[in-house]
Amino acid sequence: MKKFLQRFYIILILLFLYVPILVLIVQSFNAGKSRAKWEGLSFVWYEELFKSSAIMDALKVTVTIALLAAVISTVLGTLAAIGIYAMKKRPQALMMTLTNIPMTMPDIVTGISLMLLYLFFRVDRGYWTMLLAHITFDIPYVILSVMPKLKQMNKFSYEAALDLGCTPGQALRKVILPAVKPGVVTGAMLAFTLSLDDFTISYFTTSPLVQNLSTLIYSQARKGIKPTLNALSALMFITLLVLLLIVNRRTADNHPVKS
Amino acid sequence: MTSFQAPAWSVPVLIAAFVIFIGLVIFYVIKSRGIRRPLFAMPYTAWVALFTVIPCLLIAYYAFTDAAGRFTLDNFKSFWDSDYEMNRELIEMGMDPAELGFGRGTVNVDTLVYSLWMALLCTVICLALGYPAAYIMADREFRLGATIVVLFIIPMWMNFLLRTIAWMSLLEDNGLINNFLASIGLPRLRLMYNSGAVLMGMIYNYLPFMVFPIYNVLNKMDLKYSEAAMDLGASPIKTFLKVTLPLSLPGVVSGITMVFMPSVTTFFIPRVLGGGNTEMFGDLIERTFLTANNWNVGSALSLIMMVLILLSLGLLRKVDPEGEGEGML
Amino acid sequence: MADNNVSRAEYVSMEEQPRLITLNNISKEYDGVTVLDHINLYIRKKEFVTLLGPSGCGKTTTLRIIGGFETPTEGTVIFDGQDITNLPAYKRRVNTVFQKYALFPHLNVADNIAFGLKLKKTPKDEIARKVDRMLELVNLSGYGKRSVESLSGGQQQRIAIARALVNEPEVLLLDEPLGALDLKLRKEMQLELKSMQQRLGITFLYVTHDQEEALTMSDTIVVMRGGRILQIGTPKGIYDEPKNAFVANFIGESNIVPGVMLKDELVEFCGARFACVDEGFGENAEVDVVIRPEDIVLVGEDVGHLTGVVRSVLFKGVHYEMMIEAGGILWKVHSTTMEPEGSRVGLSVVPFNIHIMHKMEEANAK
Repeated sequence: MKKFLQRFYIILILLFLYVPILVLIVQSFNAGKSRAKWEGLSFVWYEELFKSSAIMDALKVTVTIALLAAVISTVLGTLAAIGIYAMKKRPQALMMTLTNIPMTMPDIVTGISLMLLYLFFRVDRGYWTMLLAHITFDIPYVILSVMPKLKQMNKFSYEAALDLGCTPGQALRKVILPAVKPGVVTGAMLAFTLSLDDFTISYFTTSPLVQNLSTLIYSQARKGIKPTLNALSALMFITLLVLLLIVNRRTADNHPVKS
Repeated sequence: MTSFQAPAWSVPVLIAAFVIFIGLVIFYVIKSRGIRRPLFAMPYTAWVALFTVIPCLLIAYYAFTDAAGRFTLDNFKSFWDSDYEMNRELIEMGMDPAELGFGRGTVNVDTLVYSLWMALLCTVICLALGYPAAYIMADREFRLGATIVVLFIIPMWMNFLLRTIAWMSLLEDNGLINNFLASIGLPRLRLMYNSGAVLMGMIYNYLPFMVFPIYNVLNKMDLKYSEAAMDLGASPIKTFLKVTLPLSLPGVVSGITMVFMPSVTTFFIPRVLGGGNTEMFGDLIERTFLTANNWNVGSALSLIMMVLILLSLGLLRKVDPEGEGEGML
Repeated sequence: MADNNVSRAEYVSMEEQPRLITLNNISKEYDGVTVLDHINLYIRKKEFVTLLGPSGCGKTTTLRIIGGFETPTEGTVIFDGQDITNLPAYKRRVNTVFQKYALFPHLNVADNIAFGLKLKKTPKDEIARKVDRMLELVNLSGYGKRSVESLSGGQQQRIAIARALVNEPEVLLLDEPLGALDLKLRKEMQLELKSMQQRLGITFLYVTHDQEEALTMSDTIVVMRGGRILQIGTPKGIYDEPKNAFVANFIGESNIVPGVMLKDELVEFCGARFACVDEGFGENAEVDVVIRPEDIVLVGEDVGHLTGVVRSVLFKGVHYEMMIEAGGILWKVHSTTMEPEGSRVGLSVVPFNIHIMHKMEEANAK
């Protein structure tokens, strides 16, 4: 009985989470444009999707920005984490506070503060300003993923490497990076997905001429979303799902369970 | 209305400063024969200075200046009285606003109170829904906890705007729910364009952020505590109230933080599901900047928002000084 | 002021070896806090030197300055005639065995040992040969392919030593290397390390807070406290002739009582006069008198220098430890024969076992 109640409750909650997504996916196969009426199965929206230059452009912007932001923030963030970890107490505390600011600040304030930066310095907003903004909110997540791995590391590993003849650069490559690699990978993936999904900060840091998927959806939301966007997000959803399964498979293969 | 901006030469100066900074770092590295690890953080330090510190200072700067760049507190007065500037102009023209029937414009304060109220409701409901869910998932006999966590994460991969818009198809007057009601002979309900719809959209978006930290803490909790309590004669309910619940408090606190903070500043959901009848503080800030194009008042509103957030964070930190419940996104 | 230029008169066994490392006036400050206060020390080739002292005494900082992980605020480090004060760690001909070993978890045992050799671009077959020889030396032949995390503490510790020794350093620095091991393993490793050092003929600089460990292994012990060197000497020299009450207390158990040096070779304490062998304190000088518990002999009630009452008795395995009240002081006495609690006994000490020390200044006792 207890088990039944538990399952029932969890299923209700999951239903709440999944119903809109199912609706969305179903709509993408609906032949008609109506949101509520089923007019037969069709792939017409998927065809239109690839013909729509606005959507394809937005897709390109979204994916390239997510990739670039993930790569750059991972490099900067990993280096920063290593540096901050080796700092003395007071500068370390200061840097960690500064790192926490973008995470505690509401997205809208972060977005507006960056918009003010661009306006103040008369920089035209567009692709590059959006990229810089994405890197800015990605780096703290990378730092906070790498930091615990550094803390788990033996305090003397770096010095042991120097002691055995590594230059600081070699010590970084041969000892520190291998030890923090899982944290770096987590940070990179986190940065990529956050960037892919971001709306608020992108909205304030780009111009209407350069849109990513979120801002495109927003600009269409009032007029009514075309099912092409549903088709696109259904596709992206499935892609991410498959990617995750592959990644999981690979990590499972690399670390056979110890018996 | 335009506001004070940096002169056009400032960008090249900024870039030059950045180049000089990098040059100094390289010079120092060469001079001290080898890289010292704290220097690895230098690029990020420059980044933080430019993209976090300066923007924050700019918000403060605009909040305390008028369009001409002079110091003023008018922006905050405009928060308290949204018609402040109009009333002031009337007074300058020699008229008494009160006589003309103009009083204090309460829109801004009302919006803030409404936002706080909605965020509070959202947090309480998320806690009420999320705690039992986390508790069940962490139950040792339930066994599916880890899988359910993944099931909670997966929806978040779908663009959150689209997910919110999808609710429209369910809630509309001609939506799926109403069609279903009609088909079984019940009257249609007005589900969209009210506070209820907005609240539901918020709960829908933020519920996972309540469940994860609580689940994390409950899952890591050592069974021996509750076993010890039972051993000492506590009933299961007493055990929960006196042992499990207090020990899971850090998770609850970070759950509250992670739900309350973003929901105060929600700015898309009210527009879609509330249809503009239910403006929240995030919408107000955005409208002040982009529609009214008033950077100064907009900055003052943002600053007020930030102070509120910092205050509530400080309050929550007191309950959970270690930030224990965090660590999972 | 403490005497930092401690003479080594009592120290002979290594005299013929040349000096390898010299620390000249080394000081180190962290944010205004002095951790090392003008240290002078030299270490000879093939010597086993132990830096001994309580935590915070500056022993690890001294080691790290020699290893190249810290730069001194003041002073110079001379290695084989060259000033290496500012030479980075990776260019020094010393290797370190770290606290908790610091083995690289992403490399297996053989790759850990080969780490330094690979950096020097040593040919592959030579690496393999040297690694095998090292594994043999530390009694872990055949463990090369194991992951370091699968090893026990004692085994990891041996690998850490092998990883350092394979680079054929001129000096091996060991920072409390046995601290994480249990007592029995510690004792075994102490002997093993000592014999390894003698076989290889490498200089060892060893840091520990365990006086027994220092006494067992060292050629020379450097007792440190509060960033200063209190005494340098052979284990026997330090045990038998501690320079002050702190050293006496830190190295083994002691009875330390205040006394007055009446003249050369005569001291008064607990209201009685004792013959001793110390000279040069002047007349009627206030001093500390140190007597080791095992040096007090129990004799008949009326024969001893002092008469006392046994207050408590503990059996310690090899001997009994008795607390005996005599002359207003509670004496700790080790004896193989037991006197029952409450019985009256006489205490006697031969002159050679009475050690006289200057009163320790408070400045030093921080």
